[in-house]
Amino acid sequence: MFPNSSQKKYWSYKSVNELSALRIKQNQDFISQNQNFMQEGQIKEYFLTPQEEYLLLKQYELYLRDFCRRFQPAMPRSVIGTAFHYFKRFYLNNSPMDFHPKEILATCVYLSCKVEEFNVSIKQFSENIKGDREKAEDIILSNELLLMQHLNYYLTVHNPFRPVEGFLIDIKTRCSLIDPERLRAGIEDFLDKTFLTDACVLYSPSQIALAAVLHSACKVEENLDSYVTDNLFQNARDKLPTLIDAIRKIRVMVKNVVPPPRDTIKMIEKKLEICRNQANNPDSDM
Amino acid sequence: MDDEAACPRCKTTKYRNPSLKLMVNVCGHTLCESCVDLLFLKGSGSCPQCNVPLRRNNFRIQLFEDPQVEKEVDIRKRILRDYNKREEDFETLEEFNDYLEDIEAIVFNLCHNIDLLETNKKIEQYKKDNREVIMRNKTKLGREEYEIESMLELEKQMEEQRKKELEDLENETKKRKQREKEKLIDDLQSGAGNATEILAKFTEEAEKIKEEAKIVPAAKPATQFSTGIKFGSTADQLFLPYKIEEEPLYTHEPLVIYNEGPNPPSAVEIEMKGFSEHVRPEWPAERAGGYKCVIACQRALQEAFQGLFHGS
Repeated sequence: MFPNSSQKKYWSYKSVNELSALRIKQNQDFISQNQNFMQEGQIKEYFLTPQEEYLLLKQYELYLRDFCRRFQPAMPRSVIGTAFHYFKRFYLNNSPMDFHPKEILATCVYLSCKVEEFNVSIKQFSENIKGDREKAEDIILSNELLLMQHLNYYLTVHNPFRPVEGFLIDIKTRCSLIDPERLRAGIEDFLDKTFLTDACVLYSPSQIALAAVLHSACKVEENLDSYVTDNLFQNARDKLPTLIDAIRKIRVMVKNVVPPPRDTIKMIEKKLEICRNQANNPDSDM
Repeated sequence: MDDEAACPRCKTTKYRNPSLKLMVNVCGHTLCESCVDLLFLKGSGSCPQCNVPLRRNNFRIQLFEDPQVEKEVDIRKRILRDYNKREEDFETLEEFNDYLEDIEAIVFNLCHNIDLLETNKKIEQYKKDNREVIMRNKTKLGREEYEIESMLELEKQMEEQRKKELEDLENETKKRKQREKEKLIDDLQSGAGNATEILAKFTEEAEKIKEEAKIVPAAKPATQFSTGIKFGSTADQLFLPYKIEEEPLYTHEPLVIYNEGPNPPSAVEIEMKGFSEHVRPEWPAERAGGYKCVIACQRALQEAFQGLFHGS
């Protein structure tokens, strides 16, 4: 039940501004703890800026998606959705300079497999990782508790997948749309993209699901507006503007998803290797 | 020693009259049976030693040598009838111990005629203050005693039944043996056929009977459950009562679902309006576990509708 979930109570935010304020705060907190009498100019040279951090995380969200897609055995989509949630939640309260997103990414997926009851052992899991598997296992297992702690142990995530099924059932029953199943491809594509945005920490899963359904209907040149106004909001017309606004914003967010430029990411990664918190770096001498 | 016991009134001793029975009453003074008959012809009278008014039916056979002990037993019995609180009635062990101490003091006072008036007053006061508890404990005691008695009774009955069965069986075999023997002699007497043949036939039959006897007699019809409870009798007669703690009564509060969205259709509506036609129908194996496709359908619809008003 989303309306009385911890997701709504503790992990939903009012606006994009609130999110960026939080991210800037994490960035500044990390810098002020590690600046060691540096000059203003030096700080900008040495540490990542909030903007750079944001681009880096976007890039790692793409990695997260690709990792999950390539995962063997194939994982249910709810695992991917939950992993994205964990990743976003973690970096709303931490700076990527403190914990490298590469490590947190794998841990998020591993924890999400457990929570969503997709049973894989750590051995099976690490077979999907390139490079030193034993080291990866070590990092994932040691980060797992840390991740849960930073999520404040709120592990249940409400994904938009079941609401989509609900809307499709409702449309098939109460709407005259011909063959609603042809919306499915568009819906899935849209939902995949929403995970690359901040929509899941701003809107409810059913709003995201409805946005996906409406967007997909648009693509096949159908109009479901009357379904929304006459069936869903028949008795609550006053709430309609909020929903329309939410759906519009979600669609804009999805439309604006662009992969960060490659050379910028390369530059940021180089910078991160130097400025990251060496206490949390398994390769450092500390 | 018994020989020295004597009636204080007629001075008869056990030695002179071996059937002498000494009786005792609440005052603790003894009298022999014949003196009791003589003095209490009318049913009541006073003790020849202490002039306390006594009733004839309160006389009992003296069990202890010392009549003082007898008196104490009597008093104790009377006091405990009212002072029947138990440990459960007290909050702490200390209070219970104080209470026991109190009883002992009262019994001692009454036995030795110390502060008789005051003690009696105290008892009256106690009776008045604790009337309810006394009554409750009395009925509880009565019920428990009754239950134990009925249990004993049942055991005795079963024992008797077993005995009787065994006896019957024995009698039966005895009688049969007798009959067989008589028949053999008759056969031999009438001389129908060869004597050795008759004997052989007899031994053969005897073998057969022995075989039959080996077969266990048919199990008697069950009259009780394996737990020992008789058919038809309710359990609460057999077991000691269970103490029920008093708690405020349970009140049911219906679950209020916070939707934050339009109301999803109910399970009935889902079936009536055809929502469930658009989900996979359940397999028979799933139905065995209580699953119906309506459940999945309802959940999907609920999750779709919940949270649609989010942010407003």
